[in-house]
Amino acid sequence: MSKEPLTIALVGNPNTGKSTIFNALTGLRQKIANYPGITVEQKVGTSIIGGVLHKIIDLPGAYSLNYKKLDERIAYETLIGSYEHEEIPDLALVVVDSSNLDRNLYLATQVMDLGIPVMLILNMSDVAKGKGISINPDLISNSLGVPVVAISAKNKSDIDQLKQKISESDLEVPEPLKWGPDDSLKEAMNLLINEWIKPYTNIPESARSIEALRLISEGEFNNAFYQFEKEEKGKSTIKKARELVEKGGGNPMATEVLSRYNFIGECTSNASSITSQTKASLTDRIDAVVTHKVAGPVIFTLVLLFMFQAIFSWATPFMDMIDLLFVEGGNWVANTLPEGMLNDLLVDGVIAGLGGVVIFLPQILFLFFFIYVLEGTGYMARAAFVMDGFMTKVGLHGRSVVPLMSGFACAIPGIMATRTIENWRDRIITIMVLPFMACSARLPVYALMIAAFIPSTTILGIFTLQGITFFGLYIFGIVMAVLAAFVMKRIFPTGQQTPFIMELPAYKMPKWSVVFQNTAERGKVFITEAGKIIVAISIVLWFLASFPKTEMPVLTQTDNTEYNSSFDVTENPESYQLRHSFAGQFGKIIEPVIEPLGFDWKIGIGLITSFAAREVMVGTLNTIYSIEEEDGESSTLKEKLINDVNPETGQPVYSIATAISLMIFFALAMQCMSTIAIVKRETNSWKWPTAMFVYMTALAYLSSFIAFQIGSNL
Amino acid sequence: MMHPLSNGKEGEEIVVRCLDCHCDDVCRLNELGCVEGAQGRIISNQKNVILQLGEARLAIASTLAKTILVSSK
Ligand SMILES: Nc1nc2c(ncn2[C@@H]2O[C@H](COP(=O)(O)OP(=O)(O)O)[C@@H](O)[C@H]2O)c(=O)[nH]1
Repeated sequence: MSKEPLTIALVGNPNTGKSTIFNALTGLRQKIANYPGITVEQKVGTSIIGGVLHKIIDLPGAYSLNYKKLDERIAYETLIGSYEHEEIPDLALVVVDSSNLDRNLYLATQVMDLGIPVMLILNMSDVAKGKGISINPDLISNSLGVPVVAISAKNKSDIDQLKQKISESDLEVPEPLKWGPDDSLKEAMNLLINEWIKPYTNIPESARSIEALRLISEGEFNNAFYQFEKEEKGKSTIKKARELVEKGGGNPMATEVLSRYNFIGECTSNASSITSQTKASLTDRIDAVVTHKVAGPVIFTLVLLFMFQAIFSWATPFMDMIDLLFVEGGNWVANTLPEGMLNDLLVDGVIAGLGGVVIFLPQILFLFFFIYVLEGTGYMARAAFVMDGFMTKVGLHGRSVVPLMSGFACAIPGIMATRTIENWRDRIITIMVLPFMACSARLPVYALMIAAFIPSTTILGIFTLQGITFFGLYIFGIVMAVLAAFVMKRIFPTGQQTPFIMELPAYKMPKWSVVFQNTAERGKVFITEAGKIIVAISIVLWFLASFPKTEMPVLTQTDNTEYNSSFDVTENPESYQLRHSFAGQFGKIIEPVIEPLGFDWKIGIGLITSFAAREVMVGTLNTIYSIEEEDGESSTLKEKLINDVNPETGQPVYSIATAISLMIFFALAMQCMSTIAIVKRETNSWKWPTAMFVYMTALAYLSSFIAFQIGSNL
Repeated sequence: MMHPLSNGKEGEEIVVRCLDCHCDDVCRLNELGCVEGAQGRIISNQKNVILQLGEARLAIASTLAKTILVSSK
């Protein structure tokens, strides 16, 4: 650096520490006056740096050079040398607050356009550090193209370092417009400069681009501090310039600001981070945690985990009660009514089928209770918000979260709720993966299999293996939905992305009357809607399973060898009857197809009926096993499943591998006529429901096959 | 001075100045009360932004927040 005395100006946003630096540099060699005629303080002093006495000016704080305020105008005018008795500075020290870097750099990029040497001072380094922000000055220097020094103005050695840096400065003028205005903006600037600013104003050359940008963004020249003529010509040129920007697809008011911030973002992206520091209301404080980018998703997962654990354990006593009620009721009817067809139909058909459905009422009530509570408290919208980043990555949308969560209850309201997603592609992907969410109709099957085949070992004191398996199945559904969405995102062409925006209702106590009313309503719908189909199917099934009537032949030990494949002597007559009934025959027909999944013909019948609705599976098994059981006392379906033995192999029909395979099949297969119908209605084509049915069922078959083959060979 | 909402500080009081996003998004923002001149406070800014506008609290994706120009009050 030359040994010439320099004029050095300190410029920066208010409260960035300019005065502190000014005082540290000048010590007592300063004089404070007011700018002529106005009350803004003018602070000028001297400082010996590298043996040379330099003049230091502390400019009034400014956020930008667009001089909305008097302070800003003075800072600007001083920098471009149009202020009376003040020469253009030889070096501008732009002081920025390191803890709010991006915002402060806006002014810095403007000063860099003025054609004077610039040095960036990252002040308040201590504050930034305290907030966990670390900044690499070299990286920033490289991308901005100006020397950068990080200091804390209160630290004497930092001030020495600053002086050192100033004395080493080669006073290079930074590249103007480094932030990169786009072509239309550049064109507009040139037009304005050449057709009006240059010929008709006295604004210094170094300030022409900044002034052109200001005029383009503001659209008129109010409070211009320089002299100009041909006002009309000026106005029409500004209009033309703005039109050029608009033609280029930009918004004249915003283009410059956005481009500068984009540039700043690129410069600082790996150099700074944002932390919180708010005096906040309760809602704010809750939101600070619940919507936190790390804590938010963790809380969301915990909420789900506790919800499902609670559903499973709280509902159990109620379910046992209902189970007992139906078993006792069945026994009572069986013993009270005269023996015969009606007795069979009522006990084995209607009561058994209905009992198999009603038993899940407690779990469904608890599930909906939780969903309505979460909705009522305002948490549901936050869940959507926290999950948005993730959802967008996998090809969904933050708005997909609520429909997907509703999918836990039932795919149908969920699919209907996708109407809030404006973008068709986002919407269709959400619809296509939504049935993977573990709806309440799967719950009966999961609950039955888990209760029968997963041990109730306690883990970590509060969780049971059953609860965790239950939770795991829900997670499995979510993971499959995510994977499917991820794949579909690649298959379907991308359209215009709709960014997430949603209103977050204030937190409040849910209105309990509404919660209970809605929950009860759901329970009623489940019992009446599902109940109707299930009772009907139960009766049909009872018929198919009870007819044609076949008597088990009475055989001697010697005959047995011939009939070995058909039955064995240990088999009871009911089982024999069932195997030879219509249902049994049909189950047998499909058995070869489902055998590799670990399913026998009885499960086969259940699978077929459950394509009408998943929960029918349990009713079906109930009916089949009621018919099959020996006369006398009823036992619960769970016990029957555990004790069921394949008459041919003597092995239990259900192993853990079978149970898991079955649960996986139910998790993935498209077994719901109502969902198919609603997808048809919402997409207005058979293409999507057909595709949905095929891919989900194929995936289910494949996954169950793999699970069973691995499970049974372990 | 204007800056994008995405550059706002938590707790900052702002005035919405200009929406420079896709027309559909402008409409949605307007519907939710995010119109030019609306005053509000930034509740959180962790990529996605939560903005309090009067009684309404809006969650706004970072991509969108970058196109909403605001100024400090
Ligand atoms: N912790 C810390 N505080 C600073 C630093 N620089 C300035 N300050 C404080 O920040 C406040 C504003 O500083 P001031 O010099 O008046 O800022 P100006 O408005 O830019 O002139 C004062 O209370 C200073 O003591 C710094 O590097 N670290």
